[in-house]
Amino acid sequence: MARNTLKLELSGFEELVTKLEGLDGDVKKTVTEALARAGETIGKDTIAAVQKPNLPAKGKYSQGETEKAITQNPDVIWSGVQAEIGVGFDYSKPGAGGFLITGTPRMAPDKTLKKMYTTKSYMSKIQSEMADTVQKAIKNKMGG
Amino acid sequence: MVDELIALLETFGYDVIRQGGLAEDESYKDTFFTFWNNNEEGQSFYDNETASATYDFDINVYSTDPDKAYTLLDNARNLLKQNGWTIITRAYDVASDEITHIGRGMRITYLKNFN
Repeated sequence: MARNTLKLELSGFEELVTKLEGLDGDVKKTVTEALARAGETIGKDTIAAVQKPNLPAKGKYSQGETEKAITQNPDVIWSGVQAEIGVGFDYSKPGAGGFLITGTPRMAPDKTLKKMYTTKSYMSKIQSEMADTVQKAIKNKMGG
Repeated sequence: MVDELIALLETFGYDVIRQGGLAEDESYKDTFFTFWNNNEEGQSFYDNETASATYDFDINVYSTDPDKAYTLLDNARNLLKQNGWTIITRAYDVASDEITHIGRGMRITYLKNFN
């Protein structure tokens, strides 16, 4: 199945994960929860971005099936100590809107989707939310 | 940097246009480039002025000839590298408005010092 996988790496908050491990916290469960929430956020933001009024040419070049091709509530897949989720458009489905990110010769790229899937700023925000989830687990473990 | 970028790509002898710049009723050439400036981000600053900045672009090739699309993108990549550009993503498929053409794209950046 073709899918635009945007790997959400655990880099950036290993320190928090290590702290949780030191408190005998359930690291796998906490990271899975953090990634699942991140995937939900990305899915919702992508759906908002592909509403016709928000698209180039008011969505003239998008199709009604574009929204259906967005990955929502993705499963967290573990490979050893690494976890990842698939986000964005599922290219096995008709109407997958990858062209909205790259544009075409007749349609400029959609700025919101481009910012989400090709720049660091949006993913930094997602990473920050993931760190908050892990922080909350640490706080709970410490009885706070 | 967009002028320098266009000048480099034009050495291959094909049109270079901004992504989305083709009118709805305008036909595709057999082979052409498109570009899109993702951003220009200041990297260092001195005395409240930008001392260096990164220019981030998408470069795409569209062609009726799939082999040409792949080869031309490879050649463009090599030329850009020789001229100081960094290749962030080597290549990927990009959608075409016309079923007669395939599209191949890459993402590049350039770090420019203003001093």
